[in-house]
Formats: sequence, C-alpha cells, structure tokens
Amino acid sequence: MTATLESACSLHPQVAIRPEPFGALAYHYGNRRLVFLRHPDVVRVIESLSSHGSLREALEANGIDEGRWPSFVKAIDSLTGSEIIRVR
Amino acid sequence: MWLLLDSMDQDITAQNEEAVAPQQASPGARDTAGIVEELLVEEISIDGMCGVY
Repeated sequence: MTATLESACSLHPQVAIRPEPFGALAYHYGNRRLVFLRHPDVVRVIESLSSHGSLREALEANGIDEGRWPSFVKAIDSLTGSEIIRVR
Repeated sequence: MWLLLDSMDQDITAQNEEAVAPQQASPGARDTAGIVEELLVEEISIDGMCGVY
C-alpha cells in the first residue's frame, strides 16, 4: 500500500529501533530486514506515527519544514514496502 | 541481532558517514528546480551474515 501525507501509519510491532549517531537502525524480526534511518528527524517522525491520525499530522507535530515533506513521504512509503511501517 | 550489529558498529557508522558526507559537502547535489531531495532511509541486506560469527 502506498503511503501518502493523509495515511495513518504506525511502526510494525515486530520492528525494533536502535538509536545511532546518524539517526537509528530499524530491524524487522519477522522478515529480517535492516534499514538505516539516516536522520534524527525521520526517527522522531516514525516513533510518533502511531500517535497521529496521518503522516501530515506527524510531520507538523515534529516541526518538519514543509519543503522536506516529499522526502519524508518517499521515505515512509519505502518503509511500508519493507514492512517497517504499516498503513493503518 | 543487536549483538551482531554491535560488532559491526564501526563499519556501519563509517559507511554511513561516507554516504552522508557528499550531501553535506554539496547540499545542492540533488537540487532540482530548488527542491533538495533527502535520502532519509536506506535498506541493507544482511542475508548470509548468520554464519559469520
């Protein structure tokens, strides 16, 4: 499923996130996929997704500049393909 | 899993810094019509690593 700004998303329950100096590593214990989250902002957004009704709300709540939103949508969409993120 | 990754930590950090450095050095490298695209996530394959340790 494609993630958009209006998608309600959450972290997959089988995913663990480990903080790193560059952002974080996300590991899916089910499909064994490992993903670099390459900026602390994307880590904050991902961790807060389940608290918001849409990706747009999560981006706004975390103070992400609107000019960066397309990159975040692309990143979240990519993570749905890896099953790191689920569209609710 | 994280124990395995701990042993890879320096390599991972080094690789990532190498990957990020070009963007920081030239932020306009991906600038098209004033829109800079960030590479925020990167999936890597760990298939075949189980037998390493």
